[in-house]
Amino acid sequence: MKATSTKVWSAAIAVTLSYTGAAYAAGHTADVYAPYEGTTLVVNFPAHPHYNAVLDVLPEFTEQTGIEVEVDQLQYLKMRERQTLELTKDEGDYDLISYVVFSKADYVFADQLENLAKYFMNPKLADPNYDAGDLIDGYVANIGIAGGEKGYLPGPTGSLFGIPFGSETSVLAYRKDIFEKHGIEVPTTYDELLTVACQIPEVEPGMGGMASRAASGHQASHAFLLHLAPLGGRVFDAEWNPIINSPEGVAAANALKTIVDCGPEGGTTFGPAEAAASFQQGNSAMFMDSIAFAAGFEDPSKSTVVGNVGYALHPEGVRRGSQTGGFGIGIPSNAQNKEAAFLLMQWLTSKEQDLAIAMAGGNPSRFSTYENAELNAKYPYSATFGEALKYADPDLLPIIPTWGTINADIGTTMSQVLTEGLDPQEALDGVAERARAIMEEAGYYTWQ
Amino acid sequence: MSIARTNRLTPYMFLAPAAALLLVALIYPICYLIYASFLDWNPSQRIGEADFVGLRNYFKLFGDDAFRESMWVTLKFAGIVVTVEMFLGVGLALLLDRNIRGMSVLRTLFILPMMIAPIVVGLMWRYMYHPTVGIFNKTLTDWGFAPIPWLSDGSWAFASVIIADVWQWTPFIFILSLAALQSLPSSALEASKIDGATGWQQVIYIKLPLMLPVLIVTLLLRLIDSFKVLEVILVMTNGGPGLSTEILSLRINRTASEFRELGEAAAMSNLLLIVLLILTFAMFVYNKAQEARAARMRKVEEEA
Repeated sequence: MKATSTKVWSAAIAVTLSYTGAAYAAGHTADVYAPYEGTTLVVNFPAHPHYNAVLDVLPEFTEQTGIEVEVDQLQYLKMRERQTLELTKDEGDYDLISYVVFSKADYVFADQLENLAKYFMNPKLADPNYDAGDLIDGYVANIGIAGGEKGYLPGPTGSLFGIPFGSETSVLAYRKDIFEKHGIEVPTTYDELLTVACQIPEVEPGMGGMASRAASGHQASHAFLLHLAPLGGRVFDAEWNPIINSPEGVAAANALKTIVDCGPEGGTTFGPAEAAASFQQGNSAMFMDSIAFAAGFEDPSKSTVVGNVGYALHPEGVRRGSQTGGFGIGIPSNAQNKEAAFLLMQWLTSKEQDLAIAMAGGNPSRFSTYENAELNAKYPYSATFGEALKYADPDLLPIIPTWGTINADIGTTMSQVLTEGLDPQEALDGVAERARAIMEEAGYYTWQ
Repeated sequence: MSIARTNRLTPYMFLAPAAALLLVALIYPICYLIYASFLDWNPSQRIGEADFVGLRNYFKLFGDDAFRESMWVTLKFAGIVVTVEMFLGVGLALLLDRNIRGMSVLRTLFILPMMIAPIVVGLMWRYMYHPTVGIFNKTLTDWGFAPIPWLSDGSWAFASVIIADVWQWTPFIFILSLAALQSLPSSALEASKIDGATGWQQVIYIKLPLMLPVLIVTLLLRLIDSFKVLEVILVMTNGGPGLSTEILSLRINRTASEFRELGEAAAMSNLLLIVLLILTFAMFVYNKAQEARAARMRKVEEEA
């Protein structure tokens, strides 16, 4: 109690000070935020580089608006468990939550996230200069919207439940020095990628071609799906029939197997951290994963390859399709300060703050941020990332409540392909059959 | 009249707090678990909102290959681990049951692995098993042998988690067996020595049979524990590669958090509980039978 009152006081002081300072200069903004002055928002964020950067800019929000923000930061899988409990309460403790893409299905389905339409319709809350068109479409489709096509994508019946914040896509990181030394071209297609991946260990003994996630479970599934979309495959067709065992699916499984076989030693147990470490320590010549790892490769205290890393687009197979994933922010239906939470959400994802967070090491959610000269000067790879995002595939995986089980099954089966020599076609046939049973039980074939 | 009744009730009143505690702390959670196993319960729902589906979760489990595989892995793991640990632990105890200088220091050293938090044990072994920088493969390659795929091949991964578990839990059996050995009546041993029994004969005919009750309890404790081991395997392999190290407790964990099927996870927990109850009961019956036999033999001897 005492702590809270101290906080309120300090907020009040901060507000009084800011009236004479920064916020006053912005003119009208003070009126927008005035009714919520002194409110304390409780937000739930993951422990993630992007959100660490967010913590750097949050004090600025309190200074401008007089709204206090208390951050509950958790490891991202723990965060999901906590939210699952929080969101079923009558009155939740969280006013704003960050959620992982695959939670969208569960939360929206259980009516636990606010539909954002009423906030964007409210002239007292919605900032006319917000420029939603500047938000990266792939991310918005993937993380923010639900209720349209297939239920989890945008479409005539869809609406917005969250805004991408800390989202990620995939890029190919490669060792410029090694590629130059052996005159290897940067791969732009999957054929080239696989050739180069197996060429590296031959010309550079002891070095793996490409480090990839492959550990049993979620990691192996993630790695497989990374190749499935560009190679033209999908997990389900438009009628929810599993088509993961199509020739494209088998090609993706074979691609993953080739990559792991020609990859660094022990690669079949790698999670993202191990794969990144392998690249960072010079044991692998390529690494294709989330953009969130890039900052680590340029950090001399962790990386032995600083300055030698080049970035290219995720190679093209039949089509372009880089990963979409990461986090978005939304307002729980049981939140107690929804309007103030919306203001914070809008502020955090505004052009100015998106840039400020990116400068502090976060992942931008806006095209304009990626085009910003200042950011490109500080992080030279930003332009490539912005380019990659144009091809971000929002339909990389089905964001439906049954996905957890199917994802785990893909992961263990793929691990058997990688380690026990299980035939990819046979493996994927098994996955498809089990997926059909799961979907049947969940009622996806009711209308057929 | 009323005084007499109060008197009769007195013992129950003394028992009441214990009974209440039992009811709240043991019976209620178990009943809750059993009830939950009949529900189609998603963690986003409150328990009241979940649909009652009867035995569907159980039928689903019996038809689920992954669950059967995981059950098999668990049985295999528990069987091998407990056997190896019993042999090693009892063997060590027999070897060290003597007055060596610094024995108390040695004993403390021996039980160190048991005191380390399981997550740390998992991490430690995971790094030792690391394919390139781990100590095992580094040593192997330095000596000119081919490196071993400790955690990346199904059978090796299974062996690796067994090695780690044996390392951690042999001391438990060792310390209990040693205590049992040291409390054996010296008269029996001295008598056998006078009768000219060799060291081996002493072990087989006197020490082991006398230790048996303790050994059985130890075995039971270890067996129950080995069915529930989670953290070490979670950290080392997370059940992989494939399903080769996915023991039941790990599967329960994943079913609840990853697949979001609380009802199914509850059903699995119940099955695990049943398996453990059967084991405990079997052990109990065996123990009783042994005691009865011993009593019978004593009686025969006395009569003779």
